[in-house]
Amino acid sequence: MFDLPIEGAQLMALEFGDIVDYFSVYTGTLFVFALLFTVLAIVSLPEKPMDIVFGGDAYYTKDIPLDLLRFQRFMAIACGLATLGAMASGDIFNFTLFSSMIGITNIGIVAAVRNRHVLEAAFQYGIVAMVATVPLFGGAAIVLASTGTLSIWALAGAAAVPLLAKIFLVLGVMGEGMAPFYIGKAEITRAPGAPYVLMIHVSSLLLFLRVVEIVLTV
Amino acid sequence: MSQYGTVLAVVLVAMAITFVALFRERDDLHRLLLTDLAEVVSLAIIALVGTDLAEALILPGLVVGISELMALSEVYLVKEGLRAVPERLMHIEIMDSAPAILAGVLVVYGIILSGFSGGVVAGCGILFWFFCKGHDEAFTLIETASGYAWALWIVAFFVFMLAPAYWLFAVMLAGGAILLKVMAKMALIGTMRGDRHV
Amino acid sequence: MIISRISRILAGYENLSLLYAVLVIAGIVIGFTSIPGIVYHGDDLYPKTIDRSSALDPYDRGGEPFGNTSVAAQYPENSPYLGYVTAYLTPFSQFLADTTSHLGTTIVSHPGGIIDEILYNTRGLDTVVETSILFTAFAIASFLFRRREG
Repeated sequence: MFDLPIEGAQLMALEFGDIVDYFSVYTGTLFVFALLFTVLAIVSLPEKPMDIVFGGDAYYTKDIPLDLLRFQRFMAIACGLATLGAMASGDIFNFTLFSSMIGITNIGIVAAVRNRHVLEAAFQYGIVAMVATVPLFGGAAIVLASTGTLSIWALAGAAAVPLLAKIFLVLGVMGEGMAPFYIGKAEITRAPGAPYVLMIHVSSLLLFLRVVEIVLTV
Repeated sequence: MSQYGTVLAVVLVAMAITFVALFRERDDLHRLLLTDLAEVVSLAIIALVGTDLAEALILPGLVVGISELMALSEVYLVKEGLRAVPERLMHIEIMDSAPAILAGVLVVYGIILSGFSGGVVAGCGILFWFFCKGHDEAFTLIETASGYAWALWIVAFFVFMLAPAYWLFAVMLAGGAILLKVMAKMALIGTMRGDRHV
Repeated sequence: MIISRISRILAGYENLSLLYAVLVIAGIVIGFTSIPGIVYHGDDLYPKTIDRSSALDPYDRGGEPFGNTSVAAQYPENSPYLGYVTAYLTPFSQFLADTTSHLGTTIVSHPGGIIDEILYNTRGLDTVVETSILFTAFAIASFLFRRREG
């Protein structure tokens, strides 16, 4: 696997029974990025959005209630951990599970906001994230049925995975991470709480880069 | 075309139908319901593999679907501003006398079964108890229990990975944790609808 | 103008699932062409055998308790005690298996049985992620629920 141009050299392998995670130069870089943003989500304080009253000099800062803040931070950290897992995973089904965890934590980060507009967008996004599990798990199951294995180690370079499964994996990740559908996200990011909302973008971007690597490898 | 290919084609047609339905549906609530239809298709694709491994993969697939549905329906309730709590609809005499016995039997049987379905059986018992008796302070307690169960599960996983010689201990830990967890989740999801008296 | 119409549809978030449905249907149509080339190899790992005469009928995975069972795992070298969980039955279920022929209907729920071997041991990470997903979803639901109530 590590002779493929996209992967680069092998840095490390982590064995969890049948699921063997790996770090190549490519996934290792993504992992470091995810780690960086997770640490940022842990240590940073949330922004305080300013509202300026039109036609006057008045302005006021929006206060974010403490419980909302703690919940958003919890979800952002969970999202970061799921991203870390998805970056390192060496097993297709395990990767799809981490992707759906990213999807659900993304909803969680904005679900607690009391803005109806944001909630509306989050709900629509959630519907897509939910139905995206169909191509996601479907893709993994087709990989298993057509090649007899789920391990990326065994699949790498063999070009045995059918086109259908690859399309499904990419579609599934698109649905979970919403990488190309930034319309939904633009509405979602009206939610206050900057460092945490940022996690949505980071996770989906990294997830998309990872699935590109998987599809090119298998 | 192989037998697998034929059946896969049929399932793909079903999947296309699901997404056509999603394409045509405009109402939010109905879209939410349609996602369930989609879950069934995804389980069917996994089940097509037809091995013990497929059985093991169905479970996470199912759980992911259920949990996303749970979170999304709460988002839907908040988004639509639905606040009305249902009235207590039913009260018959047996609901005063039966809970202690029935819930006890179900919980004990669930513990004997242990594991996933044991958790469901015991959860039904606890749910029945809450349904009849009402629940006041139990929410936080059960939530805490389910959190600890989750942690136990992780511990059991690491025992398996790092010290496989203690596999029996890990099986017991994981079996107990999953029993506790499924039981707690069942009871909580059941009581989350409605007011203090369910 | 067709482009402005398309961009107007793309701009509304309420069309998100519509857009995704179109994409998936297109994916199915394109992927359909690769179906004839798919050869079934799914039974390479953990194949399923059914022994109708066994007391554990649909879930009999064979093997002696506390002995080695041959299990077709992906990386058997990573699990030195492979098959131990599969073959293990609690004393109570052992008793049931010896006396009745219907334990198979509930065997899934016992510690033991290959489902648990895969879920707990060889593919344990899957289950860890799965429980974490449930945990997170539950945290979201209960946070919203309690705020609504309180």
